[in-house]
Amino acid sequence: MFIQSRVNQIWFGLLVLALAIDVNTIINHTPMVPQQQWAQKIFYIHVPVAWTAFLSYFMVMVAGIAFLATKKTAWDRLGRAAAEIGTMFMILVLITGPIWARPIWGKPWVWEPRLTTSLILFLIYIGYFMLREFGGHPERIARYAAVLGIIAFIDVPIIFLSVKFWAPEVQSHPQVEMSQQPTGILGPFFYSLIVFTILYIFMMRFRIHTLKLQEEIETHAV
Amino acid sequence: MFRILLKKEFLVELKSKEISASMLTFGIAVILIFAFSFNVPPDIMSTFAPGLFWVMTLFISTLGLHRMYAYEKEFDAFGFLISAPVDRGLIFLAKWVSGTLYLVITDLFILPPFLLFLQLQVSVSIGLAALVLIFGNLGLMVLGSLVSGLAMRAKMSEVLLPVLLFPLASPVMIAATKASAGLLKGEPFQSWQVWVFILGTFIISFGLVGFLVFDHITEE
Repeated sequence: MFIQSRVNQIWFGLLVLALAIDVNTIINHTPMVPQQQWAQKIFYIHVPVAWTAFLSYFMVMVAGIAFLATKKTAWDRLGRAAAEIGTMFMILVLITGPIWARPIWGKPWVWEPRLTTSLILFLIYIGYFMLREFGGHPERIARYAAVLGIIAFIDVPIIFLSVKFWAPEVQSHPQVEMSQQPTGILGPFFYSLIVFTILYIFMMRFRIHTLKLQEEIETHAV
Repeated sequence: MFRILLKKEFLVELKSKEISASMLTFGIAVILIFAFSFNVPPDIMSTFAPGLFWVMTLFISTLGLHRMYAYEKEFDAFGFLISAPVDRGLIFLAKWVSGTLYLVITDLFILPPFLLFLQLQVSVSIGLAALVLIFGNLGLMVLGSLVSGLAMRAKMSEVLLPVLLFPLASPVMIAATKASAGLLKGEPFQSWQVWVFILGTFIISFGLVGFLVFDHITEE
């Protein structure tokens, strides 16, 4: 079992420790950015969370292609786990984005290309889960979900570009500015990025494991 | 083979006229609602007009797409169609092209009441207007044909179709609205050609994906 495994327990302990160090570093050991002050600190969380969400949706597409090519259930499981965890991280992106936007832009929602793309992707994935729920036969659902995962990710660059040209006045995204900031920012930022990526891998392994158990139970029930 | 499939799509529609009749009536009903909801002077209305036109087109496309697959669902004709020795990518292309044609024709019928009821006066280049109309509708329908294929056999397909289609179609809506706005304002093509390129990219990308994956969507 996943939880009883000694290796997983050690990984879990290390992750909790790494996250605690991350939060402490963000609060106490990162420089204050002029004009933005405390509001800027949300970006040590917001950007890694957004990166993880997009990575996860990329995984849904990869798993979708692999499933259509091989028809192996393991790929469908991977795709489903990535879709669920990606959406969870996407919700966090949509919460942390407006938290930063409010003090900086003076309003909680701005049609900034990255944030807008995140919102649209989130809505697409609500549809994805509805399709998984109402799609009918499990084998058919797996195929449909794989196709939708591919379509959704192909849509990302086109959505991003169209929103970028649609609202050209909204360009001041701090993610770009961060590379020009003093070194005190980049170190903790990349640390946070790595911690969130490892957290994502751990969550994926756990979710794939529970999905596998669920399938076994359903097979036995039948 | 593609021509036969296309002919089949048109013959079915010519006999029943379900798709065009429902899209046309629904379109006019939507214009009426727009006219009542946006009771503003014509100059202000002209700034809303491109967006309203494409919102209306999106709504009627949903209705058309639903009917397009409903025929085949009712009589299980789709099962027979995919059991025929036909490349399923071609079935997708036939659905896409016929759907776009229905939508363009419906739009052409709806344009006069749209301009009349919303009290709009336009003078645009016919060639450029046709380009925007065809590209916008090709973009909506390429995605629509793909998504309705996914939603067709699911429970609650009538809910699933717009839930999946609307967010996925957002780049088409943005690009088509912006291109139409540039056209209506009489701006030179160079200043809004980027939107036509975005529509073109969308059409090519999803056309290719649809052609490749439709086989997996229709698999029994």
